[in-house]
Amino acid sequence: MSASDYLSVALLITGAVFFLAGTVGLLRFPDLYTRLHALTKADNVGLGLMIAGLALQAESWAVVGKLLLIWGLVLLAGAGVAHLIASGALKQGVRPWKK
Amino acid sequence: MSDRGQQAWLSSLLLRGLFLAFIWWSLSGGVAASWWFGVPAIALALFVSTLLLPPQRLVWHALLRFIPFFLLRSLLGGVDVAWRAFHPQRPITPALISYRLRLPAGLSRVVMLNCVTLLPGTLSAALDENILQVHLLSGRESCLAELRQLEVRVAHIFDASLRSGIR
Repeated sequence: MSASDYLSVALLITGAVFFLAGTVGLLRFPDLYTRLHALTKADNVGLGLMIAGLALQAESWAVVGKLLLIWGLVLLAGAGVAHLIASGALKQGVRPWKK
Repeated sequence: MSDRGQQAWLSSLLLRGLFLAFIWWSLSGGVAASWWFGVPAIALALFVSTLLLPPQRLVWHALLRFIPFFLLRSLLGGVDVAWRAFHPQRPITPALISYRLRLPAGLSRVVMLNCVTLLPGTLSAALDENILQVHLLSGRESCLAELRQLEVRVAHIFDASLRSGIR
């Protein structure tokens, strides 16, 4: 394995840890709003690291471009959907959990 | 239209054209013959995009400076929330606050709302006129500072002036 392969492995594994964190947050956090925090932010970083790991293995720059587009679209979709779910929940009177 | 306004319009159009060309290039895998379809498709997409969203005045260097800021802060956001999720005591003190937006309505606000959700500890929950409901995971003061800083940076990109809001 070359140095870039090792770096890819490290990035992919770290990315997976963030995806795991998002899921752990989804299970452990107390309400809808805090769960949205976990999902959007941790998954965004997890995906970003995985994209970086895969980009190192890409055969052409066009594939790198495609990977970056995927990340950008997921970012937009994630942030947009989180906002819509939260505003929908507020409208329906779902109260945020307080300590 | 003034000279300056026309120039901004053209440079914004050029940026969009380049971005669309980048999308085509990466989707088609850079095959030269594909541009026979690509160029008309890009021209059509550019035309439709001007109808859907009129070209905006963008400050390029502010946009370029925003990218590393956003990447770093969103990475911190992920690390912060991952740490809280894994921590045995689950250290969160959530709150819902109202933030009076000083950005003008339009694209700059959409950018602001989307970024708020990805930065550490904040989630844009609802927008009602100028009041943005922000859900905080913890740390009220640091989040408020973060929101203000983000708003200033977004305003720079769009060359928008922030109205001095009454808080």
